[in-house]
Amino acid sequence: MEYIIKGGIVFDPLNHIDGEQKDILIKDGFITDKVSPKAKILDVTGKLVMPGGVDLHSHIAGPKLATGRLYRPEDTRRGIKTFPKGSVQGFETGFSIPSCPTTGYRYSKMGYTTVTEAAVPPLEAKHAHEEIDSIPNLDIPTLTLFGNNWFMLKYVKENNLEDLTLFISKWLKLAKGYGIKIVNPCGSEAWGWGKNVNGLDDPEPHWHVTGREVITALTKVNEKLGLPHSVHVHTNDLGHPGNYETTLETFDCVKHIKKNKNVNRNQVIHCTHVQFHAYKGTSWRDVSSGATELIDYINKSKHMTCDIGQITFDETTTMTADAPMEYDLFRLTGLKWANKDIEVETASGLIPSIYSMKAPVSAFQWAVGLEFFLGIKDLWKIGLTTDSPNGGPFIRYPRLLTWLMSNQKLNDMLDNQVHNWATNRTDITSYDREYSWNDVAIVTRANTAKILGLTDRGHLGIGAKADVSIYDIDVNDFDTTLMSNAEIIEKKLLNALYTIKDGEIVVKDGQITNLVKSKHLWCNVVGLEEEEEQLIRKIKPTFNKYYTIKYENYGVTNHYIKPDTRFDINCNKQG
Amino acid sequence: MDELDIIINSGSSIIQAFYEKKGSTLKDEYRRSAAIAFMDKKDMQKLDLKPHDKIDVTSKWGSVTLYVDKSHDSPHEGMIFIPKGPWANIVISPETYCCNIPTYKGIKGKIRKSQREVLLVADLMKIQYSKYSDDNVLTEKQLPVYKKRSKISHDRK
Amino acid sequence: MTESEMIEYDEIVRNCCCSYCGNNCDDITYLLKDKKIVGVRHACRLGASKIINDTDQRLLNPMIRNEEGILEETTWDIALDKVTQLLSASMRPLFYGWGETSVEAIKKGIVLAQQTGAVMDNQSTICHGASIQAFQNVGHPVMTLGEVKNRSDVIIYIGTNPMDDHPRHLTRYTTFPEGFFRQNGREDRLLITLDPKYTNTAKISDKWIQFNMNEDYSLFNAIRTILNGGKLKSDKIAGVDKEELYDLVDIMKNAECGSLFFGLGLTQTLAKQRNVDVLIQLIEDLNKYTKWSMLPMRGFFNVNGFNIAMTTETGYPYGVDFARGYPRYMVGETTTIDLLNRREPDFFMAVAADPVIQFPGYSIKHLTQIPVIQVDTHWGPYTEIADIVLPSTRVGVETEGTGYRMDGIPLFMKKVIDKPENCHSDEWILHQLNERIKKINGDT
Repeated sequence: MEYIIKGGIVFDPLNHIDGEQKDILIKDGFITDKVSPKAKILDVTGKLVMPGGVDLHSHIAGPKLATGRLYRPEDTRRGIKTFPKGSVQGFETGFSIPSCPTTGYRYSKMGYTTVTEAAVPPLEAKHAHEEIDSIPNLDIPTLTLFGNNWFMLKYVKENNLEDLTLFISKWLKLAKGYGIKIVNPCGSEAWGWGKNVNGLDDPEPHWHVTGREVITALTKVNEKLGLPHSVHVHTNDLGHPGNYETTLETFDCVKHIKKNKNVNRNQVIHCTHVQFHAYKGTSWRDVSSGATELIDYINKSKHMTCDIGQITFDETTTMTADAPMEYDLFRLTGLKWANKDIEVETASGLIPSIYSMKAPVSAFQWAVGLEFFLGIKDLWKIGLTTDSPNGGPFIRYPRLLTWLMSNQKLNDMLDNQVHNWATNRTDITSYDREYSWNDVAIVTRANTAKILGLTDRGHLGIGAKADVSIYDIDVNDFDTTLMSNAEIIEKKLLNALYTIKDGEIVVKDGQITNLVKSKHLWCNVVGLEEEEEQLIRKIKPTFNKYYTIKYENYGVTNHYIKPDTRFDINCNKQG
Repeated sequence: MDELDIIINSGSSIIQAFYEKKGSTLKDEYRRSAAIAFMDKKDMQKLDLKPHDKIDVTSKWGSVTLYVDKSHDSPHEGMIFIPKGPWANIVISPETYCCNIPTYKGIKGKIRKSQREVLLVADLMKIQYSKYSDDNVLTEKQLPVYKKRSKISHDRK
Repeated sequence: MTESEMIEYDEIVRNCCCSYCGNNCDDITYLLKDKKIVGVRHACRLGASKIINDTDQRLLNPMIRNEEGILEETTWDIALDKVTQLLSASMRPLFYGWGETSVEAIKKGIVLAQQTGAVMDNQSTICHGASIQAFQNVGHPVMTLGEVKNRSDVIIYIGTNPMDDHPRHLTRYTTFPEGFFRQNGREDRLLITLDPKYTNTAKISDKWIQFNMNEDYSLFNAIRTILNGGKLKSDKIAGVDKEELYDLVDIMKNAECGSLFFGLGLTQTLAKQRNVDVLIQLIEDLNKYTKWSMLPMRGFFNVNGFNIAMTTETGYPYGVDFARGYPRYMVGETTTIDLLNRREPDFFMAVAADPVIQFPGYSIKHLTQIPVIQVDTHWGPYTEIADIVLPSTRVGVETEGTGYRMDGIPLFMKKVIDKPENCHSDEWILHQLNERIKKINGDT
């Protein structure tokens, strides 16, 4: 199929195209410079055209989601919608934890084409991949949890980076994972005994390894292997007043590690949902924002990127492998608590969360998130996320953008709607930045793809994947800074005029027109296979003793990843 | 004593589950494993029952004849255990109290010594539910009875 | 049983997944001779009985009941067309079962339910549905079984008898094996059973606390009261001396890592989900002091998989009604036993389950009034009231597919031997029905 997307106003920051009227040509699923006369013309004159959205951190598939849905039917009920007549789309359910098909529909309607599932324990990776099979219309890389894995802890303790490298390389194959995720390193292992670690240098009880050692070791391994994405880190002490110092130390602890020269990204560490890690003070009574210090560090550094984890003022569901933190939240709120400890690998927890504009802490957290969006000068260091559904569900991204694009809107919120902790406890009022469409394209497409190391998307250059989103906004006649336009922006961005994935129209006029199977994106390190097998021979007896399933039944077979996109990574051992 | 008030419990037993999963539910071995009430010794003495004797168990929901045997999980005076299965189901309570699960345990009932037959599955189904036949003639069947087609024509492609 | 040394075999297949209970043991070895399974190693008695089972009750050909009330063999096309016809003519179809089939088949079943506006329900509706309700009420603090093996020094079983129902639970997963932090296995652990009966599990426990039937709630409430510093007013609670409960709380508080398992003893007695509610609250409270987790003892090898697949597709775990074009889940309304007791369904299909073994007689009576379809491998009590019988295959033996263990660990179950010639997998059968229904819906 060939298309000419005609006359749109194109924002393609990676190719330095900032709002030019430009035709985009598509052939056989890719952007091209030439199509045959048979090409179908989509006349979108004056409309907003961007690369397909890329989400680098969301929770959409796997055991956490299943638990969330299972124990929160009230959330499922909130999002019930019968199927549109005559549509290929089915019914929708759920708000913060939608059913899998619903997740696909909603992201697709928003113009997103790639969404990262940010936390998959390898033992239950089949579950995540099975759920991905039920999500339509997206490309989905999964990040594999390593930050509390016993084998990892042992190698780190022994300072055995050779075996750790082989272990990671093999385990990504077994879990069909795309990258390395670290969540509260050592803290979730300590939770196996009902404990947590306090900061980057507090050792966990058995191996006496620290978060710092884990993060630096895995960063070295990541760069040695040359994985497209960097380590993806959820730092220790999430959600605790006073945690910003731990966050600063985490940023800093890998700055001397050399980036692999073959990779496309800029960073060696990606710190996720920094909003939750940016608090000063000793308790929720005297809490204040530590964002200024973190922003200052980020502005001066070159080795890191982050995403925000913005709060959106919703009743949502928090879910994380940071299980001890979820128990703390339970003690704080008394809402129903879910927890699951996963042998040898990690723990995880869930709890509903009600973020209210009128609640001091919610308003404070909301403002901290916005501080990052407005304070980090170089937008090529950040990605837009709500840590969906933790800060709020992904369908709030458009609303979040209205806060960033219009000072008028933001000030109205600060002056008239949210609790005064937003202004009293943070530096939010010191910023007057407003996001342009180009900025939006950076934090939702260009840079999120770049941070993930996905060079084939996030832009509309020749040869890129033909993932395009087009919105019914007449760019040149539309003032995004007006508060009165905020609602329109939200509505238009929730319902794309067109979403095109791999050169096929999947959404038209905000309706799903086509359902395609989502692809499973994973990294296959090439060149270490023999050594990996030797390692497996060595560790298999230990594996079979401490896991409760056999090694032979552990890995995700091809049965679960149809269709997939495999990234073969030629491991240059010298790095 | 002729009749005894008891509490009926039902649930899985390893023997009943074994024959159920083995797929021999029509046979006498399954009847022996599931059409049986396990009782406290003292309760058995009250009704002068010996292992392999029979009782009628009656609850608000129905009545069924079962073998009895000594419980290995005793003491539990005043309580009988019937392995889950078509026999137990006749006397357990369908009441869900609007919470989807019927009441399989803790049902009030009465037992008395019986001379009646303990029915095989097929006969139990026939007599208890009469879906396809109203007569009460026992078939004693322990294997599937069905009509074979001499030659099964091949499915159209 | 399996005296492997005596068995002659010519092929050995290792690491197979058992298709019996919620343990989903994945270390089973099949011994084959001439492509038939002649022996099973590592499986328990129950697991083995399902892997090598009686062939004289095996369903081998589709059957439809004739006018004389006798099942008569027929072709797949005729049988499937007949099911389709009955299904599409029905107003209130109900699909039940699924505990012993693959997630792949369940997903096809969900599509069929959506297409036909049916109610889709599984064995949770008669077993651990109450536990799921309790999770929805209170919370869900669980773990995988390896956490128990590696860490737990105190293990409690309440209202469950795994020695009979999940025979390898203690030996492979929780109590007996060496764990990373419990190198001496059984010796490093304290095993406690709470049950009204002296079960086989109680017999091998270090401590058995016998309590009165139907008094579960007051018992757990008392334990929780003690834990939270309250005083008990009576000397005996649910028939248990209060000193014994104080001791128990002491043990629980002083555990390094405690694990609690509970079974149908809680969910099938009077207070049902409330029994589980208070138990979850107990676990939550205990975590103030030390580590505690809990897990329901799920019965069939894929009841959990059904709940998971259902939430994946609809958000709801079981008892999902598609009659209105979107899913509804109302406990007591859209759940199987309640529907049958109200005499509501006019079409009933059981897949990989025998409702006659599982349902109260009062509920079964409605099945004598409506068309009843069986999709299963063996002639069982349910076959005696089935109008159409579709013979299927055994997952993990003749068909591959995914099962979820009681703790949510997914396992891929292999196909090891060929299926009987004219049998088809549940997945295939449901796919065929889907295609036929699609055609009918498309035609109108």
